[in-house]
Order: sequence, then C-alpha cells, then structure tokens
Amino acid sequence: MQLNNNKEYLTIALPKGKLFSLSADLLAKVGYTAEGLTDKSRKLVITNEEKKLRFIITKTADVPTYVEYGAADLGVIGKDVLAENGMDVYELLDLGFGRCHVMMAVPKAERRPQLTDYAQTRVATKFPHIAEQFFSAHGMQMEYIKLNGSIELGPIVGLSESIVDIVETGTTLKENDLEEIAYIMDATARLVANRVSFKLKFERIHKLTEELRKVLALEKGAAQ
Amino acid sequence: MKAMLAIPYGTRDFLPLEATEKRIIESKLARLFAGWGYDEVVTPTIEYLDTLTRGAGTDLEPQLYKLFGKDNKILALRHEMTTPIARLVASRLQGQPLPLRLAYISSVFRSEQAQTGRQCEFYQAGVELMGAASAAADAEVVALAIRGMLVAGLKDFTVCLGQVEFVSGVMEQYNLSEQASDALKEAMEKHDLVLLENLVDELQLSEQARRALKELPLLSGGQEMLAQARELALNATSRRALDNLTEIYELLEAYGVADYVKFDLGIIRDFSYYTGMVFEAYTPGLGFPLAGGGRYDHLLSDFGEGTACPATGFALGIERVLLALTRQGLQRPEAAKDVYVGYAPGKIASAISKVTELREEGQVVELAAAPGTEAEARALANQQGYSRLLYLQ
Repeated sequence: MQLNNNKEYLTIALPKGKLFSLSADLLAKVGYTAEGLTDKSRKLVITNEEKKLRFIITKTADVPTYVEYGAADLGVIGKDVLAENGMDVYELLDLGFGRCHVMMAVPKAERRPQLTDYAQTRVATKFPHIAEQFFSAHGMQMEYIKLNGSIELGPIVGLSESIVDIVETGTTLKENDLEEIAYIMDATARLVANRVSFKLKFERIHKLTEELRKVLALEKGAAQ
Repeated sequence: MKAMLAIPYGTRDFLPLEATEKRIIESKLARLFAGWGYDEVVTPTIEYLDTLTRGAGTDLEPQLYKLFGKDNKILALRHEMTTPIARLVASRLQGQPLPLRLAYISSVFRSEQAQTGRQCEFYQAGVELMGAASAAADAEVVALAIRGMLVAGLKDFTVCLGQVEFVSGVMEQYNLSEQASDALKEAMEKHDLVLLENLVDELQLSEQARRALKELPLLSGGQEMLAQARELALNATSRRALDNLTEIYELLEAYGVADYVKFDLGIIRDFSYYTGMVFEAYTPGLGFPLAGGGRYDHLLSDFGEGTACPATGFALGIERVLLALTRQGLQRPEAAKDVYVGYAPGKIASAISKVTELREEGQVVELAAAPGTEAEARALANQQGYSRLLYLQ
C-alpha cells in the first residue's frame, strides 16, 4: 500500500515510548484520534477515514525526518531531538509535557573544580551536536563519544570522563553516583509541521494548533 | 567484484533518460524566458568568495564550497545565480539601458545536507529583472514563474506571496530595537514559532502588540487575509507593503494566473538581500519549495558606488520539478526515437545516405555501428526503444 496521495489526509507522526500516550491523549481531546491507536499496534499506519487522518508510529529520532521530508504533515517530538537534528520544520507549539533538561554530569567522586577543567576530555552522549555547541560556546574542545542508550555507563566503565544527557528527575544520576555540573537546555514536547504542509494545509493545521493551545491553557489553569 | 568508483557526497549523474528529461524541461523554460524578452547570460561557476558573501552576510560562508586561487585569494562555487548576475550588471553591464531582463539555466552548489530533489550541486532556471521598481515588474516575474511551472508540466501547485516590508513595518511600529527585531526575524526564518512566542513574551509590549507579533507567521490565506492583516498595519511601511501586494495580485489576475496565488506574510526567505515582495511555490507530495524569489533593491549597490538599482527575480529548481512530476504521476517529458537503420554487409554507403535524408527531415535516427542480419537489427532497434526499423540489403 502506498500512501502517495496524501493531499486530503492529515498525516501525524507520533514517537513510540513515553511521549506516545501523552501525545495521543492530547490529540484525542480535540477529536484527533483513530481506532486502534496504540504504540503496541503492529500496524505502522493507523487511519481514521471519517476524519481523513493518518497516524504513523515511529521511533522517536525518526519523527523529524518524516516531517522534514513531508512523509508526515505533523509530528510530536522532544525539543532535545529537534535541537540535535537541526531539521528544517515548523515548530508550532510547546505541548508542555515530556519536560526534561539536557545537562552535563560527572562522577561525584572525581568532580573537578571548574567546567573548563574538563576541556580535552571524553564526553559520552546521545546528543553530540547539542554538546558540541555548548562546549564550543565555552571555548572547550572535547572528544565526543556517541552512545545510543545507557549514557550513564560511560564514566562507570571508563569510556568517558563525563556525560551529556537528558534528565527528568535525577534518580538515574543519583543511582550511578553522577552529579550534574552544568545545565545546557530545557526541553519539552513540540508540535512540528512540514514547511510545505504548513502552507498547503494551513487552515487545518492552524485550526488544530489553536484547539490544542486552548486545551493546554485550560489544563494549565486547572493545575494551578 | 570490482568496487564501483564513487562520486562526491551530494552530487549525481544524470543517465541518458534522466538527462533527456532535464534537457527537455530546460529547453521549454529557455524558450519561455526568451519569449518574455529575457536574454540568457552565463557567468563563471567560480567567483571570489568576497563577491558571493557581499550581499548575504557571513551566515552564508559555511554553505559555500571554497578553494584557493593561484593568487591565494579565496574562491567559491556560486551558491545561487542572483548575486553573480547582480555583480555582472554592476560591472560589465553598467550603463546599459534599463530595465535589463536576464535569464539563466545553471548549476549551483551548496555544501550542506543533501535534501529531496536538492543535491549539493543542483540546477536552477530563473530570471532577474533589473532596473524596474514597479509592482508590474514583480507581477511579471511571479507570472513568469507560474508559466514556467506550467510549461514544465506541473498542474497542482500554489505560489505564496509575502512582503518582507510588512514584517519590518510591524516591528517598527512597536519601536523594537534592531536586536529584538533581528531575533524575531531569525526565529521566523527558522520556522520556530515557539521561540518567537517566547521572545515576544519577554518584550515590554502591550497585549495587543504581542498578539500582532505572534500572528505574523500565521497570516496565510486569500484576499480576506489581507484585510485582516490591514488591522495589524499601523504605520506607513506596513500599509505600503500591503498595498504593494494588492497591486501585484490585481496584475496577476490580468495575467490569468491568480488562481495559483495565495498570500503568506510569514515568508522570510533564506537570503537576507530581499527588500519587498517575496514568494515561494509549493506542490503537494514534495516537502520542499519548488521555486522562490522576490525583490532585492539594495544588492546592486553593495557592489559599488552609483550602481544602485531596483531588481526582482526568481529561481526554479529543475530536479524538484522532475521529482514533483514523477510523484504526481504526471507525464514526464519523453524523447522520441524514430528510426533505427540497419544494413547488410557492403550496404553502409546507401545506409548513410538514407540516414542523412531522414535526419534532414528532422527524425531521430540511429545508424547501426556494424552490418548485421535483419533479425539482429530488429533486436537492437527494440532494445534502444526505436519505433521503426529500416533495413537495407
């Protein structure tokens, strides 16, 4: 089945994992949902014929790619992944959930007095691009070791002197005797749109964005 | 197995069929541009780095392919054609009667991540209309861009018109510092509306002003949207920008192409030299713009005293047009192959005279490279896709 003619449909890419249910629930609140929409689904594309909607469920890091190339019109993705990939998509709305921050951490026992004391050392990270921008801004040259998961392991097994990773609660850091020494950036989930879809399907996308904005404002009001 | 020889990142070969399709589209565009009174120019592939970055500022440098000349000056491959043509007009064509209508079909080079339908080396067809400041000049280049996409075979596309002065005017009317308006424009250019909102919220402004600034990238639609935008336009600059768009639109109606046109006041093109109307063309199924252009009244004066000259133009991505045609299942241009001429041993001389005669009639004819049987000739004719076989015995 080829989905070439997606003109009438609005295609939304959702990331598997922790952002999935939050995104799907939020979209459902404004009526954007489809039967059988779960990230356990074996179907990769889930369609709502009545509302002319399509959902693509994909690996987190691939969401911006689908959106940049226009295979999906919209996507939900963490700001961390967006900043790392530097892709040219419209960033429409801060969805507020999936809050975390990108930071640099080092083993507690070997903490050096200043950030710049770590210049020319090895840093393990899933975000080499963000890390490089951060260290360059501090005039530091680093050796970047790209890992795809369990970044905390880096310093423990002697692969690196520090890590750059995302933190939500800090529990994982604590459990591994790591300490945050530098804050890099905040990240929350974002609604993103393809450049051309945003122009050619402007009315639909704009309406959805405004409806989501209202729901988010209400929730924020209720939480306070 | 012998390893295949590689080509550099971001480059491509055009194989016979692809090259033919490209050539056919280019010929149609060349004919169209000539028919509108545009003269073709060819400029060097390499220019001095200083020339290319003059109008565009320093942001451009990382995307340029650079090399050193023998005199140790830094050279760069052209990244687009507007700047080289502006250089040409400000130097070699100084003193020519204006307006000048110039066209090009060239390869340009950008050292960046290759995108759909855009390798690091890619082909553009476009025009520059120099020395005319009127809305009529802008309407002419937009209409020509639309005609260009139509002659290339595209049917379904939208041209979005914007006006950079509208955005500047709205920022001016709230007395934003240059630093603040640059930051807002950068957020708009990066399409980061979340950042734009956050930046606006940090400014000391009335609620109404904040709402107006946040709305800038969302002003997209037909003529009713222009009326809505008028409520945000509180100074002469922004109002003039809207009047200018209205005037251009009316002329596009006269050209009979207004159905393809929409307004989008959020368009800020990547190059900082634009000063007035700007536009981009989009087609479904292709995630990137097909064509883009606009007015750039100050670029020429960047090339020296007394060369100030209003100008406007556009560029169309040839590979993107080809890709859009394929994706939309439209007829891609085809080269006709008419006659394959085979011959028996000793008959080559009569075959040559037959071939010459057919070619003079304008037919596409291939002459067999060696004598053979009729069956062999038929097989070759089929293999090469010729519709007719002529066998001389």
